[in-house]
Amino acid sequence: MSNAVHASQAEDLEFDPVFLHSRREAIVIFFVWLVAFIWAVPFCYFNGYVDATEVVEIDTVWGIPSWVFWGIGAPWIAANIFTTWFCFCYMKDDDLGEAMEGSDIAEEAVEMHADENGAEA
Amino acid sequence: MSATLPLFSPLLAAANSNAALITFLIYTLAVFGLAALSNQLMKNKNFLSEYFLGSRSLGVWAFALTFAATSSSGGSFTGFPSKIYTHGWILGLWIGSYIVVPICAMGLLGKRINHVARISGAITVPDVLRDRFRSASFGLMAVSLIVFFMSFNLIAQFKAGSVILNTLLSDVGPFDAAVGWVANAKSNIGFLQDVDSGYLLCLVTFSFAVILYTTYGGFHAVVWTDVMQGVVMVVGVLIMLPLAINAVGSLPEATQKLARMTPPRLGMLRVSLKVPATENLTLNGPWFTLPGEDVGHPRLFRINKTLVIPKGKTTVDHVRYVEITTPEEIEDQLKRLADQEHTDIIGFRQKLREFIESQIEWIETNQTSLLSADSGPQLAELRKNLLVLEQQPKALLRSFEFHPVDIEFTLSKKYPEPYGDGRPGMYVSGPGPAPPSLPGKPRLIEVKIDQPDAEIRVFDEKNVRQVTRHTGRGRTLISVDSKTYRLDVVKAGFSVFSTNVEFEKVDPVTGKKTEIETVKLDVELIASPDAKHGLKSDGEEESVMSYGFLPLSIAISFFFMWAISGAGQPSSMVRLMAFNNSTTLRRSIFTVAIYYSLIYFPLVIIFCCARVILPGMDLESDGIMPQMAVTLTQQIGQGWLAGLLVAAPFAAVMSTVDSFLLMISSALVRDIYQRNINPEAKEKTIKRLTFLFTFLVGAGATLGAVNPPRFLQDIIVYTGSGLAACFLAPTVFALYWPRSNSQGCMGGMLAGFSAHLAMYIAGYFANGSFFKPYQLFDFNPIIVGLLVSFVSGYIVTRLTPPPPEELVRKYFYRKKTS
Repeated sequence: MSNAVHASQAEDLEFDPVFLHSRREAIVIFFVWLVAFIWAVPFCYFNGYVDATEVVEIDTVWGIPSWVFWGIGAPWIAANIFTTWFCFCYMKDDDLGEAMEGSDIAEEAVEMHADENGAEA
Repeated sequence: MSATLPLFSPLLAAANSNAALITFLIYTLAVFGLAALSNQLMKNKNFLSEYFLGSRSLGVWAFALTFAATSSSGGSFTGFPSKIYTHGWILGLWIGSYIVVPICAMGLLGKRINHVARISGAITVPDVLRDRFRSASFGLMAVSLIVFFMSFNLIAQFKAGSVILNTLLSDVGPFDAAVGWVANAKSNIGFLQDVDSGYLLCLVTFSFAVILYTTYGGFHAVVWTDVMQGVVMVVGVLIMLPLAINAVGSLPEATQKLARMTPPRLGMLRVSLKVPATENLTLNGPWFTLPGEDVGHPRLFRINKTLVIPKGKTTVDHVRYVEITTPEEIEDQLKRLADQEHTDIIGFRQKLREFIESQIEWIETNQTSLLSADSGPQLAELRKNLLVLEQQPKALLRSFEFHPVDIEFTLSKKYPEPYGDGRPGMYVSGPGPAPPSLPGKPRLIEVKIDQPDAEIRVFDEKNVRQVTRHTGRGRTLISVDSKTYRLDVVKAGFSVFSTNVEFEKVDPVTGKKTEIETVKLDVELIASPDAKHGLKSDGEEESVMSYGFLPLSIAISFFFMWAISGAGQPSSMVRLMAFNNSTTLRRSIFTVAIYYSLIYFPLVIIFCCARVILPGMDLESDGIMPQMAVTLTQQIGQGWLAGLLVAAPFAAVMSTVDSFLLMISSALVRDIYQRNINPEAKEKTIKRLTFLFTFLVGAGATLGAVNPPRFLQDIIVYTGSGLAACFLAPTVFALYWPRSNSQGCMGGMLAGFSAHLAMYIAGYFANGSFFKPYQLFDFNPIIVGLLVSFVSGYIVTRLTPPPPEELVRKYFYRKKTS
């Protein structure tokens, strides 16, 4: 942890909950992507790919090749169920605050004047 | 998804012209109406925040649909269906990461970037990065990269939109009249003389509409039109799905048929007439057969798109064809063509009848001046063919029935075999069939040989044999595709002649290169055999696509590409800064997840069915979406509906273009002028400059698209992946890592840009083209760019001092509440 952060903590500050919640949610989302990746690509590769000499025999589920159904279709449904849970049960409703419209520009104008005054002095 | 340039069939547009015109007019009026409403919203609000960010007030539907529509460019409805048609069910895996795209692209950065932008008052992505580190140089670097990548992309998207519009409106009476007027008007303007008049008219119309509504209405106009466009897209797909399944009988039936299919072969042929055409003879994508080795199965071919035999000519060369190779498919298509009153065949037969009659008339008129004394047998044969045509009005045109009197088809060149050639099951398994890459304008090598029984072998730059031709004494024409070749002549197993063939001539004075179409070689076979060239075994000579469409490494790359790099697009990040609260974000992620599920997987099903319903479109597969729309809606007697369906790709391009336009103008006005030149500029000045720059950027892109650079699709891919390689890592660090500093993030941005660019430059040297990037370990450059960007960003941050405490406090901490 940086010196800057230590200094901040000493001043009776705490991490902004929006930051903490966002970070936790981003980590969960990254792992969801990883799980989808680890399931879909190897499953489709081992069950759906054939080499040049193989005779293709096709099993289907509701008319969809079974490797597409179990490798992509079913995970798609599972991902949607997870997304529903994530959005309505897990993700926090945070107060994002009021937008400080123009505050960055105002800061810059102040700095610019300060520089000009400094130069004149 | 990236966008792909469409090549629709004019026949299709003709069938659907009125519906397309009416749809386009209604659509344009609606867009202008929305822009006018948006303009009203700007009153009494902070102009820049409203114009570029919609005052951060987007609700669920607006936010969800603008996010989805901007992410889905024209490619979703042109390139993606084309890929499904060409490669089959493997596209399920290609698009596989869309199962998590909504949650990744919106959830990874959404809440936090919105929060940080509110703290600083940032309106643009460079604003966020600049404010987060209080670094003007970082802001300028981000602006430069956005302007660099997006300007190229904008030109490409303008061209894509104009090409789609041109296709939708071609053969519509008033449009054709306007094209004629444009052709006259531009005839005296030097730089416009080589530009297609239809394309130019569509470019001006498309640009005028987009620039006007974007400039006038700003972000809200863009968002509302995106909502409308998003609804058009999903409704179109949901109508097509049941129609497509109904047309094939059932999905299991369609998949089993696909499983029995073998990939078609592609090639070129020559169409020859016995006597010159007396007027231009136009044939729209006709089917024809040639006798096969097996008597029960003739070979079935379809000529690519429109074939025009000009007046006075007897031959047309380099006509591309598709040969259907599955016996069952040949049988089905022959039945379909013979049984139904297929418009292509009826049109073709009518043309043929007129053509034979004109030939008879021509021979009768010119009989006295003909060199051949007796044209009686020719006339008799022509009349016999006319009789055959009359007696079998619904029969398929079989060239051998007419051969050799009126039309002769000679297969002149076979392209390398597709991956999976001759093997059933390719369309329902990985890595999926891959047709050979098609050449641009074909070139000819004319070889004159002084001895019989020689074999001509033509090798490409990689020493892969492209053509083998056994030939006798005399002239031989060989059609080739690229610029440089080696030609060997082999006799009795020995190479007896070898030379390099260049299709470029360099002027010795000016050094200027000009391309030549035909290289003529007079070969005098040397007496002493020299066996140093061209004696490879047959196995080595095979020029077959050896990897298929989606090998494992590419499948992995695409899983990264859609979900992870999608989160790194600045155009998506801007939208993430515009929603009104975190409840909207939660509900929007759910909405987009359902929305994408309703679009992308059904598209895979629909266009797998299209392969069964509409075979032989492999050379014009970019037109499969409108072709399916017309076919399916005509089957249920609701042709007008096709107009709505074919509007979807146009809507998709428009929704991408307007967002990019605003991104660039915001970069110029906000990030460069206001933040670096005049922070105290009055709102009136900013407003005028914003309108001016939005208009100028749009006008500049229009001018750029008049003579657009080649490789547009590749430019779109390069810019999309390049932006992700530059922006994802620095943004993630800036938002989630308190220790991150400007040096580290700038280092990550530059390293991502350089690594990604390096792959393309290496591709130039290794593969001969900038747009064939070098693929390290067979992975797409985006993987390399992202990896280098994250690693170098981390290392540089660790090696440089921590950021100012004040900034860390501002963006990561708050006062304890208890």
